[in-house]
Amino acid sequence: MINACIEAFVELQGWLLAHLLQPVLLATGMGSYLEMAFDGIEFFLCGVLQITAAFLLLRPLEALRPIEVWPDRKAVRVDVLYSFLDRLGIVPLLVFALLAPLFGSLESWLRFNDIIPPQLEDLFPALEARPLLSFLVYLCILDFTEYWRHRLSHTFRWWWALHAIHHSQRQMTLWTDSRNHLLDDLVGGAWFAIVALLVGVPPGHFVGLLIVVKTIENLSHVNARLSFGRFGELLLVSPRYHRWHHAIDLPAGRQYRFGCNFAILLPIWDQLFGTQYRGQTMPPCGLRPGPLPESAAQSGFWRQQWEGLCALAVSFFPANGHGKERQRE
Amino acid sequence: MIACLVHSLRRLAGWLLIVPLLCPAIAAHAGLAIALNSADGTISLIDTETYQVTGKVAVCKEPHHLMPTPDDKSLIVACAASNQLVFFDPNTGQEQKRIRNISDPYQLGFSPNRKWFVATSLRLDRVDLYDPVDFRLVARLPAPKTPSHMAFDNDSQFVFVTLQDSNEIMAISLGTQTIAWVIPVAATPAGIVMAPDNRHLLVACMGAGVVEVIEWRTRKSVMKIATGTAAHNLQPKGDGRHYYVSNRTIDGSISLLDTQTMTVVEKYEVPGGPDDMIVRADGKELWATARFARKVQVLDLVTKKIKQSITVGSSPHGVFFTNHAGLR
Repeated sequence: MINACIEAFVELQGWLLAHLLQPVLLATGMGSYLEMAFDGIEFFLCGVLQITAAFLLLRPLEALRPIEVWPDRKAVRVDVLYSFLDRLGIVPLLVFALLAPLFGSLESWLRFNDIIPPQLEDLFPALEARPLLSFLVYLCILDFTEYWRHRLSHTFRWWWALHAIHHSQRQMTLWTDSRNHLLDDLVGGAWFAIVALLVGVPPGHFVGLLIVVKTIENLSHVNARLSFGRFGELLLVSPRYHRWHHAIDLPAGRQYRFGCNFAILLPIWDQLFGTQYRGQTMPPCGLRPGPLPESAAQSGFWRQQWEGLCALAVSFFPANGHGKERQRE
Repeated sequence: MIACLVHSLRRLAGWLLIVPLLCPAIAAHAGLAIALNSADGTISLIDTETYQVTGKVAVCKEPHHLMPTPDDKSLIVACAASNQLVFFDPNTGQEQKRIRNISDPYQLGFSPNRKWFVATSLRLDRVDLYDPVDFRLVARLPAPKTPSHMAFDNDSQFVFVTLQDSNEIMAISLGTQTIAWVIPVAATPAGIVMAPDNRHLLVACMGAGVVEVIEWRTRKSVMKIATGTAAHNLQPKGDGRHYYVSNRTIDGSISLLDTQTMTVVEKYEVPGGPDDMIVRADGKELWATARFARKVQVLDLVTKKIKQSITVGSSPHGVFFTNHAGLR
């Protein structure tokens, strides 16, 4: 059964390559990119299946145990668009196309100067023969670096101006995860590329790592009354845990001045670095007017991108009244 | 859902759970073939008599190409993303040693006089020349763009490298370790071999679907032989005259090229993106990795049909067995 599924998947992947991309690549002298195209199709198909699975599993949960019931879901539509652009590989492809030459040149320059960036396996050769362990170690490392990327995106004024798009949604659902400004995605991509350069993420783990992270992120944004209990929330970010990260009103305390619960998968990072808040309720989500106008909660895709750019421009002038910290009303 | 998780995490779950169980079971085989699963980071061990996969071992990040040492005692696997060369016993599949800090090795080659070990860096646009005794780096040359395969002349004066994305061939003088010349060829050159006459280079050009024949001393293109869409790699038949050319498309094929008449004399259907090949010493079988099908295809050269499709790992690339018909 499992083998049949894999065979069918590879068959479809091959069919799409043969009939859609291969003719174009060969005709345009880009035959070198066939393998990359093949991998890209895998990414696309996994995205299709991942979105389908998230919808089939999490949408009923939202219908059965909603935290909030809204008169309509118009504001959610743009998040669905963001999700498709992200999961089906369009935004990642753009980010890759922009960053790959830059980081390729950087790495090439390093090698010419006899600098080979270190790899985790050079320090711990045992990982080479233990892919499962290797996968888990890389998952933890990436989650750790993502914690800091996320935290810094709330800390630096310019970055927060972009990341605020993600937080502007008041109707948070399973689709909200991918709601990001394109520049925020680009910075996130550069962050990942630097991490990959420093520790050497195995290409074979890449899709698997992405699937795990994206699935948990879908779950953590879900509009469903769901927690993993006091013990479970020490191990994995739950919808309730992450909802506090999206709360309109942050918890009191200086440690939460930029926000709380920044962890993506593992709450331990919040615990270690003092940003954990174990709220037991399900607070309302969204932003007070600040870096973004109130309309951002309802804006369409392009308007949000524009509003993010405006907020970014304003962020470079601190005297204009927009504080560095998230405003508590 | 099941398909997604299984497939997406196949490099994680599928093999990983069985790898530790299989590792101790790797034993000497009467006939062992080794296939590199470049996306999985594993090698598949295949019994050449039963065509059964007898083991799968995690090796490194992106093992693409392989090359036996001149004494045939080791098989070197180039681990591009791990910056390593991993040495295996080609008869048992047992790992022998690793050499680290070999920057991004993709395609490998020993010069015929055994004085040079050459590695191309496809991703980082570079060709490295090493001392084959201690694998000490001697020279590092820029090679934009996308240096892929290589060939040597019989006197080991030059190594010729295809530059896939700039549609060129580069000749590097091994005597001076400098770039001697660069000439244009047809679109997306990949595989390259020296013809038996030591006069012509045969260059498989994917974008044009041809093997371009270059008279390398005069740097002239002599002819272009249409072999099939996405002509990718060449492998000698072992008779000093014919070469197999893999045409790497999903519905792919392998052409048999006669280097005396410079014509395609036969063509076989080999689906799945045939890439690297190797021919059995008795000339009865050709094994080819099917890049886009997770298979090694065994072509029966008597019946001209696929005899076996062996399921291996993701994006299989290099393949090798000791009982081969020759590599040059």
